Amino acid sequence: MRAIPLAVGLLLGWLASLAPPMAVSAAAQEPVEFTRSRADTVAGKCMTCHKKESPGLYRQWYMSEHAVHNVTCIECHGAARDEVDAYVHEGAYIATLVTPRDCGACHESEAQQVADSYHATAGEILESADAYMAHVVGGLPAVIAGCESCHGARIEIDPAAPNRIARESWPNSGIGRLNPDGSKGACNACHTRHSFAAAQARRPESCSKCHLGPDHPQKEVYEESKHGNAYYTHIDDMNLEQDRWVVGIDYFEAPTCATCHMSATAKQRVNHDVGRRISWTLRPKISHMKDDWQAKRKNMQDVCAACHHEEFVKGHYYQMDGVVQLYNEKFARPAVAIMELAAANGAAERPSAFGNEIDWIFWELWHHEGRRARHGAAMMGPDYTWWHGIYDVGKHFYFDFLPAARRLGDPEIDAYIDRMLAEDEMHRWLHRPTGELKGDIRSGQLQEIYRGFFHPAE
Amino acid sequence: MKLWRRYRLFLRGLATNWVGALGAVLTTSAFLLFLFVLALQLLGVITNAYVGLISYLLLPALFLLGLALVPWGWHLYRRRTGRPTRELLDERFAPELTRTGPFGSGLLGLVLLLTLVNLFFLGAGGARILHFMDEPRFCGTACHQVMHPEWITYQRSPHAHVKCVECHVGEGADALIDAKINGLWQVISATFDLYERPIPTPVHTLRPARETCEQCHWPDVFYGDRFQFRTRYGFDRASTPEYTTLLLHVGSGAQPEKRTIHWHVASENEVRYRADSAREEMQWVEVRRADGSYHRYTRRDVQQTGEAAAVRALDCVDCHNRVTHIYEDPEVAVDRRMHSLPLDRRLPFLKREGLGLLLAGWGSKTQAYAGIERGLSGYYARFQRRETDGLQPEIARAVDALQDAYRRNIHPRMQVGWNPYPDHRGHAGGGGCFRCHNRELVDAAGKSIGYDCTRCHGILALESTTPFAYLEPAPEQGRERALHRYLRQDFLAVRGAAAPRAGGIPLPLELHEGVSDSGRTAP
Repeated sequence: MRAIPLAVGLLLGWLASLAPPMAVSAAAQEPVEFTRSRADTVAGKCMTCHKKESPGLYRQWYMSEHAVHNVTCIECHGAARDEVDAYVHEGAYIATLVTPRDCGACHESEAQQVADSYHATAGEILESADAYMAHVVGGLPAVIAGCESCHGARIEIDPAAPNRIARESWPNSGIGRLNPDGSKGACNACHTRHSFAAAQARRPESCSKCHLGPDHPQKEVYEESKHGNAYYTHIDDMNLEQDRWVVGIDYFEAPTCATCHMSATAKQRVNHDVGRRISWTLRPKISHMKDDWQAKRKNMQDVCAACHHEEFVKGHYYQMDGVVQLYNEKFARPAVAIMELAAANGAAERPSAFGNEIDWIFWELWHHEGRRARHGAAMMGPDYTWWHGIYDVGKHFYFDFLPAARRLGDPEIDAYIDRMLAEDEMHRWLHRPTGELKGDIRSGQLQEIYRGFFHPAE
Repeated sequence: MKLWRRYRLFLRGLATNWVGALGAVLTTSAFLLFLFVLALQLLGVITNAYVGLISYLLLPALFLLGLALVPWGWHLYRRRTGRPTRELLDERFAPELTRTGPFGSGLLGLVLLLTLVNLFFLGAGGARILHFMDEPRFCGTACHQVMHPEWITYQRSPHAHVKCVECHVGEGADALIDAKINGLWQVISATFDLYERPIPTPVHTLRPARETCEQCHWPDVFYGDRFQFRTRYGFDRASTPEYTTLLLHVGSGAQPEKRTIHWHVASENEVRYRADSAREEMQWVEVRRADGSYHRYTRRDVQQTGEAAAVRALDCVDCHNRVTHIYEDPEVAVDRRMHSLPLDRRLPFLKREGLGLLLAGWGSKTQAYAGIERGLSGYYARFQRRETDGLQPEIARAVDALQDAYRRNIHPRMQVGWNPYPDHRGHAGGGGCFRCHNRELVDAAGKSIGYDCTRCHGILALESTTPFAYLEPAPEQGRERALHRYLRQDFLAVRGAAAPRAGGIPLPLELHEGVSDSGRTAP
């Protein structure tokens, strides 16, 4: 009995194979939407051309885990007919843009963690007043190729463009990219296409695409630190390619950015929300503790514990808290107070922000030098803590910022500065003789001023 | 003897002054020299085409000049003396020449006889000249370095036995006159060094394909599918081969299906286009059918800059533009010589080293030959001494082969480097087929002409380890699974449609599932 359907099938198949080639082209003209059952055939067609036309791209995919697990072009680029960025390409609906939602079809928890992370909000900064400076001082081309390349652009649809994305917003792989499907970010900001390797995201080079430079030199601080030293020395022993990557078990020579901020420990699973181990925020003018900072600090200290003794870890946090508080209390608060007075009293000459000298001095004070000091202390970069950090902050606070503030000619500001220099123990040194100060250092009296800084902010 | 005596007297009579004397000398010596050179050529003593220039162009020209000088000299003589012709004739020529006989004077007879000889000589000479200028050897070597690259490539081409003029001049008197006028400018530009380097392709002066190509090839005899094998060798120690096997859907112009390449020249449709003067950037392309209807694809960002080239109907040379003067891509040049064995893969890293030497940017041919020799044998002596022990003859052969590749393709004096001209057959570098088959040209509905790979060729291996990698059933798992399945189904759907048994082997059931799955055949 089983032979009958088989025979019918054979006959039908044979008849089908006799159909004239004209039918071939006619049938092929109807564009196909992505369905899993067709995936192989469609992807096979993609690869036929792209293996030749974009060999590097094909090769990266071919060597990737995606290829091993038969995740092909169309699983990521396949699109539904009604998606705004869908277009017909060689008989299939596809989209150039692959968003965290697309990746999340398989990598569900990772996509959710990214969506909850501070990284995912990076694009919104450009929607707010923070983009102001780049737009007025620089201009749109610099915003696109500069800011938005890291922060992420808002993807604009251009129906006339071959891939339906406006050139102003494509290419863009910013970590907070605002995608047409409502998702935020781009997984390939760290997992570079088209190999999407975990190994790459584990390396510090991946993060240092953005986290470097005068305003947040995390890359440089890491390279200066013992952690970075050890990593570059023992890079071959880091087991970066391995699927499971637990610090203290699969590797123990050094941590990378990912190790401390994301990767698995014996107690924690890997988590793509990069903020879950950060207790201070070192970004703003005045640092403060993050929500639920005790738990976050505990998470980080658990990472440290893979290599370090508890006392060692506590000591590090003691020292780091001290630097952040020093910056906050000695420089940031007075500077912010003066800027607030200037704004309230309309003391500045020009009405536009960044239209006055003092705006720039204050900006670099907190946004560049102040962050450098704080990052240096957080990630064990002594040179960034002092020479690129507090040293610059102090020099520019006393000899650029305060004189510029006085030049505003506002009596209230002058009074504030006079009172600070006369009464604040941290600033009184300015009007005292050197010999006396040296004596205070030797006796330890000067150091006593700062004893209260070595703790988290309340 | 009597005739010779008369001739001498005749000459003496003509030499009234230095003009007449020069004319007589030129004519006589040019004629005699011509006979002498011709004899040498016929005997095979001289084979150089450059001598042909002297014997067929210079000597007849001098001959004519001399002939013209003679009456001019006589005219001057008469004007100077101011005496009647009869008197002068009597004075200049011996009485036995001027004496009137039954058929006029001996002088008249002699002049008539000599004129006859002249006419015969000029007629025969003219025919010889035209014949000589039809010879490929003339085109290829008369202008020395100008045509040297074309001459070298022509001699190794599939058309090596077709004369240059059969494509570049074509049939008929008007074609001949066109060519000769054109040639006059070429003589001037070659003499005064006015020509471009490299020589631009004479794409506009080529005769229509119907008058040239189709003398031998015509659309009705193009047929079916053709295999094309390409072996690319890797840059590794063993220069490991990678195979690409294409099944080109060449088709014939007589078939109605669109899925063949020669559909473009089928008699029932005419493909026309407007492009830049190099015919590389299309402004639009359209197909016109017998009933007058047409379908046009226009460039999205129409920039009507530059000269508006004439509309052209597509013919053979729009795609087959380098069927004779074929320059090799450097990598292809090495691969080809590796495939046919002068380059022996037992020599480690031969592909890498060989290609590197070819691309080294030598200043002159002499430097290149010496550099290739020194470079290759030096590399093996320094870095692979043990591995190439006993392979010295292979190294020498490899050096020869690389020098040969250089000799064929590179011509520093004409500034011909690697890939000097685009080849429109295929789609290397985004040209060729992709000039029209791309997404920039769209019709009124915004649709472009298809440019997917399997439109024009089945693919049985794509940089694979075997030449027929995708003919085997696809594996269930593996990185190439999807690619393999698709290409196999595509091949079998096109080739297997008419023959469910491929080479006597019944097609597997899986194929039929695959065929309906791919949407290739009717549901």
